[in-house]
Amino acid sequence: MTGARLPAGIALSLAIAAPAAAQTGSLSGYMDFHFNKVTREDGVIDFHRFVLLFSHAFTPRIRFVGELELEHAFVEGQEEAGELELEQAYIDFLIARRFNVRAGMVLVPVGILNERHEPPVFHGVERPLVDTVIVPSTWFEVGAGVHGELGGGWRYRAYVLAPLDAEGFSADEGIRGGRQKGSAAAVPSAALTGRVEYLGLRDLTLGGSVWLGRGHAFGTPLETGVRVTEADARYSRDRLELRGQVAHVAIPDAGEINDAQTFQSGIDPNIARGLLGFYAEAAYRVWARGSPRDLVVFARYEHADTQHRMPAGWLPLEEFQRKALTFGLTYFPDPDVAIKADYVWLRNRSGIIRAPSSFNVGLGWWF
Amino acid sequence: MVVLMARVRVWVGVAAALGLAVAVAVQAQTGRRVVSMKAERFAFTPSEITIAVGEEIEIRLKSDDTAHGFRIVGGDVDIRIPKRGQGEASVRFKGDRVGRFAFECSHLCGAGHSFMRGVIVVRDRRP
Repeated sequence: MTGARLPAGIALSLAIAAPAAAQTGSLSGYMDFHFNKVTREDGVIDFHRFVLLFSHAFTPRIRFVGELELEHAFVEGQEEAGELELEQAYIDFLIARRFNVRAGMVLVPVGILNERHEPPVFHGVERPLVDTVIVPSTWFEVGAGVHGELGGGWRYRAYVLAPLDAEGFSADEGIRGGRQKGSAAAVPSAALTGRVEYLGLRDLTLGGSVWLGRGHAFGTPLETGVRVTEADARYSRDRLELRGQVAHVAIPDAGEINDAQTFQSGIDPNIARGLLGFYAEAAYRVWARGSPRDLVVFARYEHADTQHRMPAGWLPLEEFQRKALTFGLTYFPDPDVAIKADYVWLRNRSGIIRAPSSFNVGLGWWF
Repeated sequence: MVVLMARVRVWVGVAAALGLAVAVAVQAQTGRRVVSMKAERFAFTPSEITIAVGEEIEIRLKSDDTAHGFRIVGGDVDIRIPKRGQGEASVRFKGDRVGRFAFECSHLCGAGHSFMRGVIVVRDRRP
């Protein structure tokens, strides 16, 4: 892109009806905490995320962005007790509109939410189930790649990243436990990931993503190919917001990984060779558009099946073949502050293990 | 209360009509094209504007979520786009010479802030 210096007076600016906006420097962030009451369990209150974003421009064309996240308020060295994560720390080399280079810790460009996960951006106290057990958000990894805009509403990004650790795959959460998170990540092979978006139609954003790589069972000589494919759409006009996403994960050699882990630990992880998830969400702004305050009602239907296709000789664990209907409210006293409440009606195919539904209340903000 | 609301609606309607009339008159007098642009995490829509050399446009920027910025790279324009529902910002741009003038979000707005970029293309009038 030509960043030509403009002659004095070529451009003028003025603000219309712009109030004295809050000033933020190079430090921004988002936070959320919530109360979850799962059926037949005690309620839990958790300060889930405390995230700080930093940016720095070395030159107008060389820039740094970092995102440091503290999860669950307290770190004790185990994930259950909290995590301190470096979710983003990359440098952008801005070369041309069509072609820019990025290197460092990057967000994997798969799905709607993984790269757009600030609390006021999505409805529901918790992220969609599909964006948890099918697309393992927040999914981040170390690597390098390119991004840019091709014109006509098309944009892309493509990275080479560290692969997955297949020892972390599970029946319940699919590939989620296989993220290496850039922490001394082993790289016997590289993974490729990319996303294309089309914004050329009014009020509509279409996206498609892919992740191609291998899952290495590092304790064994085994490995398996892993392919994540995803498509999504977002539509927003006046008071109506619609979004939908479908994602599929293929693990062709899941049977071999199951065998190896069973031999090693005595526990069969029952990893599927195919995982499938999709959701559709409709939201409606009850209060008039244009007000700085908004009240939004929403409903979302989800299908998240981490046992969709099993390797020959394995049967699916039906409690992980889940469907969820979520409905709730988001109140925005300010566009950057979201007060949320919802009820998640969760069901599975198991006749023995019942899926617990939940009532959730949360508060999230961005600054 | 109902009467009061009806009066408010009438005055809002009159004000909107007057505003529209003023805008049309300004455009007719100045010949300046107005381009409406939406800013949201993490894109400007449209992200590419093409004008003829010598043409002046007014870009009216409205956010669909948080506050954003609009900066023309290498230029003297860097303004704040207010949050959703809190008004709009406006920039005038005159294409004095042929070229591609990049613009970007200048206010850290989230994880994908760096993707918020676009370009104003100034073309020669000749075919």
